Amino acid sequence: MTGAPAEAVPMVSFRGVTKRFGTLAACDDVSFDVAGGEVVALLGENGAGKSTLMKTLYGIHPPDGGEVLIHGRPAAFARPADAMAAGIGMVFQTFSLLPALSVRDNLAMAWPGTPWYLGKRGRNVRGALAHLSQLAPGINPDARLGTLSTGEQQLVELAKVLNLDARLVILDEPTSVLTPAEAERLYGLIRAIAADGVAVVMITHKLADVEACADRVVVMRRGRVEGEGSAAALSRAEIVTLMMGRTARGDDPRGLPEKPPLPARPRPQLLLRRVSTGDQTSDARDVTLTVHRGEILGIAGVTGNGQTALAEGVAGIRDLTDGEVLLDGSVISRRRLDPRRKLHIGYVPENPRENGIVAGLSLETNLALRSIAERKGASRRMTSSEVAQRLAEYDVRPPEPARAAGTLSGGNVQKLVIARETGEPREALLMVFPTMGLDITATAFVYDRMVAAAAAGAAVLWISEELDDLLALAHRIAVIREGRIMAEWPVTPGLTRTEVGASMTGGPT
Amino acid sequence: MMDLATLFFVWGLASLTNATPLILVTLGETLGQRTGVINLGCEGAMLGGACAGFGAAMATGNPWIGMAAGAATGLLFAALHAALVLGARANQLAAGIAVWTLALGLTSYIGRAFVGGKVEALPSLAGTWLTDLPIIGKGLGQLSVATPIAVLLVLAAVWWLERTRTGLSWRVAGESALIATENGMSPTLSRLSAVLVGGCLAGLGGAVLSVDYTQTWANEITKGRGLVAVGLVIVARWNPRLVLPVCLLFGFAETAALRLPAMGVDLSSYVLSALPYAVVLVALVANQITFRPGAAMPADLKRVFQ
Repeated sequence: MTGAPAEAVPMVSFRGVTKRFGTLAACDDVSFDVAGGEVVALLGENGAGKSTLMKTLYGIHPPDGGEVLIHGRPAAFARPADAMAAGIGMVFQTFSLLPALSVRDNLAMAWPGTPWYLGKRGRNVRGALAHLSQLAPGINPDARLGTLSTGEQQLVELAKVLNLDARLVILDEPTSVLTPAEAERLYGLIRAIAADGVAVVMITHKLADVEACADRVVVMRRGRVEGEGSAAALSRAEIVTLMMGRTARGDDPRGLPEKPPLPARPRPQLLLRRVSTGDQTSDARDVTLTVHRGEILGIAGVTGNGQTALAEGVAGIRDLTDGEVLLDGSVISRRRLDPRRKLHIGYVPENPRENGIVAGLSLETNLALRSIAERKGASRRMTSSEVAQRLAEYDVRPPEPARAAGTLSGGNVQKLVIARETGEPREALLMVFPTMGLDITATAFVYDRMVAAAAAGAAVLWISEELDDLLALAHRIAVIREGRIMAEWPVTPGLTRTEVGASMTGGPT
Repeated sequence: MMDLATLFFVWGLASLTNATPLILVTLGETLGQRTGVINLGCEGAMLGGACAGFGAAMATGNPWIGMAAGAATGLLFAALHAALVLGARANQLAAGIAVWTLALGLTSYIGRAFVGGKVEALPSLAGTWLTDLPIIGKGLGQLSVATPIAVLLVLAAVWWLERTRTGLSWRVAGESALIATENGMSPTLSRLSAVLVGGCLAGLGGAVLSVDYTQTWANEITKGRGLVAVGLVIVARWNPRLVLPVCLLFGFAETAALRLPAMGVDLSSYVLSALPYAVVLVALVANQITFRPGAAMPADLKRVFQ
């Protein structure tokens, strides 16, 4: 598995590419090359800057510093259309396809060769189907796209990109939506495309992807290239170490709180028995977990492995297809039971701006949302002084009760949600990626509150990708992959991030 | 008493004649909605077309000029809707109602001069090769030339949407403006052209109604047909092919309302004149029950209700 001849000018060269969002450097001085005919796996954890880097190339986020060379010439694309015209195609995780139209129409709409008159049964756009019939001869061009499986839709998207005569194809987490058999087929297709001289960049966090079809590996971590090398030369352990970082963050200035002591006699408080929300890899599948009173159970996993479904299933937002959830001995996951039982769970959802607040309503109303659901009478609602006190206590800034919640910054939105969800004692607390996108102080605040809730006796189920934080604060860690719990450990000094990380990415445990 | 086959044939021809204006309006609304624009103002465009068409035909004595004036007026009202919706990004439903009420007021005012006016209808098919057909030829001869034109326009719309790249870009715009843009198309241009074509068809439908079918001008002559068309688009599942049968259903109900009294059915004329609308209502509900609601709805239309 060798790339193009060494003397050839690289298809794409990144030279010191930097991209900032506010104070955060999503990409920091990134340099590497991709040659024609070469498959490069761009590896890294979520938020490592892989997708951002590719979007700087594709004209979605023009870089703030450095440059991109195409065939040795500087190129700066302001729009995806310009990048496409230069022979760069990107297959996103969410396809740019229309489920209501036929496969043929979906390809014809993007094919440069589509004539004005399409002809009877699309006779004149047969050329648009050429790549697809090579990739997947079994797909009926007259079928509605929406009737195809996700894997087949991805192939249609890939054919669409190849139809643009792409010389560089970027695939963003291509196997995350595929079944193992579909992934195998995709690996073969990627090799075949590369054999035609196309350069391929595959953004991924799966070691299996690397082993199956990459020539070279570039590992990113926190916006920087942490290492690169030929796929054959790097061992799994080396790659995992590069992805996860060499050391735990001992010198981290964020000041994590102390882990709360477990009660002397642990009592099971939140029980998940064979919980399933479906049978996709993004569903929770057959999850059995116990969280004790006062305990923090951390769920580690790479985003998209069923965490959202699991949390929503436990919170009662999503119906379970199987299994049950028990809180303090009584089942809370059956519909007919008193829905108010669910209100004993505090729920800090993923992406709180979208899922945790009503953006157009005031801080005061957002704080009171649970009281409304609990049908408290006016007498039981918070008085305005209580609201002011709560906002101050949770450091929501600016502490103006009448301000619309949507105008708050991300950290303050999260504080507001936590103020509502943990402001009163809860039997269980469910937190989903609670520090994602937050700065150091807001992160520390979130952890303080989580630890305080546990100390007050709540069973805390904490879904996170931050391995260092999980190791520092959770009493136990379970790993979720493809919707299933793959491993579970009590957190001891002997448990390393490499061990947990390997389980998250499907490496040897 | 006529035998059943003859009765059916005669009623069928009458239904076609009744339905012709509605076919044009419904077709126009279907095209607009396929690109993602709901135009409640098509009632206004139809009304405007009926009024201007009647005025022009009355003044010139030429029904074809009436048709042209009707289509042009429909175009103007549609342009206003497009300016509000695509230009000013106004709410589609509110903009449509504004256009409709504007047309209602304007036509009441301008149309006063046309009350009692006389116009010449479009030529009938009598004398064409169609009348040489066996059995049905004689009946076809009674149809106005407007009817085959409407049928041909339906076929042309099907051809346009399914066989041309521009038609494909209209369908893409109706599914997702974002994806249309990503693929190098201009959804705004698609929507503008479809709304304008739809307005032309609505205006033409209005002119056929006043000049050719009733040959009179009366205030609010369209009696809500433009709004019925909006409902029929749903019954036809946004498919121009189904515009014909669905409009014929309304036409058939209207024929029944007109002819049942002559056959000795003793029902209040008010009840009878409500019949076609009741039929549309039943069809709409039956359609919702039978088919998955919204399955065929252009995906970007849902945005209108958010």
